Amino acid sequence: MIIVLVEKISVMVRGFFRYVGELSILFTHIVTAAVTPPFNNYRFLAQAERVGPGSFLIVSLVGLFVGMIIALQMAYMMIKLSAEIYIPNVIAVSLTRELAPVLTALIVAGRVGAGITAEIGTMVVTEQVDALKAFATDPVRYLAVPRFLALAVMLPILTFFSTAVGIYGGFLICSYKLSISSHMFWTMVFDSLAVKDVVTGLTKTIFFGMIIATVGCYEGFNVKGGADGVGRATTMSVVRSFIMIIMFDCFFTFIFYFLFNA
Amino acid sequence: MIEIQNLYKTFNKVQVLNGLNLSVREGETKVVIGRSGVGKSVLLKNIVGIMKPDSGSIRIKGVELTQMPDKEYDKVRKSIGFVFQGGALFDSLNVAENVGFFLDEFMKLPPAQKRMRIAHALSLVRLKNVEEMMPSQLSGGMRKRVSLARVLCMEPRIIFYDEPTTGLDPVTADAINNMIIEMRDKLKVTSIVVTHDMTSAYKVADSIAMIYHGQVIADGTPDVIRTSHHPVVRQFVNGESDGPITEDESMKYGHVK
Repeated sequence: MIIVLVEKISVMVRGFFRYVGELSILFTHIVTAAVTPPFNNYRFLAQAERVGPGSFLIVSLVGLFVGMIIALQMAYMMIKLSAEIYIPNVIAVSLTRELAPVLTALIVAGRVGAGITAEIGTMVVTEQVDALKAFATDPVRYLAVPRFLALAVMLPILTFFSTAVGIYGGFLICSYKLSISSHMFWTMVFDSLAVKDVVTGLTKTIFFGMIIATVGCYEGFNVKGGADGVGRATTMSVVRSFIMIIMFDCFFTFIFYFLFNA
Repeated sequence: MIEIQNLYKTFNKVQVLNGLNLSVREGETKVVIGRSGVGKSVLLKNIVGIMKPDSGSIRIKGVELTQMPDKEYDKVRKSIGFVFQGGALFDSLNVAENVGFFLDEFMKLPPAQKRMRIAHALSLVRLKNVEEMMPSQLSGGMRKRVSLARVLCMEPRIIFYDEPTTGLDPVTADAINNMIIEMRDKLKVTSIVVTHDMTSAYKVADSIAMIYHGQVIADGTPDVIRTSHHPVVRQFVNGESDGPITEDESMKYGHVK
């Protein structure tokens, strides 16, 4: 019984380290290919268009509602303490530093990351990836690099918009429901935000973009079987991206905390 | 031209290629036959470097490929065209972009010259006015023709055909067979055709090799194969269910596609 349990744990641990190892190799391959010529701007722009404008509406909508929810939830507590004047500060700081970057990354992982896995996985199943290799074309350079760069560039931009729209959502609640004047709201928002809040919030989304692209491509390139395999890989891609985004968010928060509070 | 010696390839402890030997002369069309999943496609993918053999030797024009670094292998790949079973056309590109893929990636020709090369390749496979169509709009036969046109744009010295007539109606299959013969006669390319369609094999082959249990068990002209007394070859070419090849062989030998 104990031996079986130990064996199971050992298989899981080895599987985990193999996964991390293979993901790291792919990441290194992508970065190396991204910084060495030949460069293909057309493929990058095509992917950037799919990631950016394609996700803008959903990211903005979620940002707007999250901003409104924070305002209402804070009002519930702050009114009891007669401290509702600080609600704009809470909205601005929580959205800029944490909520908008993570929520935007999770939305994009679900929308774009899953799409990357499904697309590359289908290409693997239908031998299109083999065809690329037969044509002396590196599939990582052709498929993964444009997606990787597009996500690393577009995710901070999407997060910026999501934050702005979220703060505006908070403003709508504060000005129409909590009687905080427009001038007061925006003064409190800008007073509470420091440059480091914006920089740390946006910087980590660059890494989140890289994580989504690397995990999405890895799962796609490793699809086994037919449509069933593509489906399973797509699910795994979203689940693993979510876990890694939250894990790395914790890691970055830790790093930034000691970096800026030391 | 192509020399393969003692080639071994295993997948998950299943021996697929088991010391396979094969040689193809320059300008020859060699047809490789065998049951589905016997390792015919694996053989082609090993030669073109999509898969790496466990051991053995693959030489093209005397140059050993198995130990070659990937960058150098790419130079060899640029002289080999590979027509995949399902066409393997890139879904996101239209027919013209698919056919001109190699030109876009490696040659950077002026647009007019590129258009001319694409039109010429499409005319060789007898396709017209399909440049703007997407792969999903093409029939099975058209996909194979476009796939062949994409390969022809490379001006390869060697072409591999993976099951070129599988899934096609007899008329379209015969048209594809005629094209394979035409490529050999007009362009003097060396070809390996992997198939289990004996009508196609007899028609296009200069010589036929049969793979069984990971090895070539017979190699000769179509007439030699047709009149072979080897029980396995005879059973396969005559399409008989009774004989040494049994239904459950894939279970015993773990055939891999």
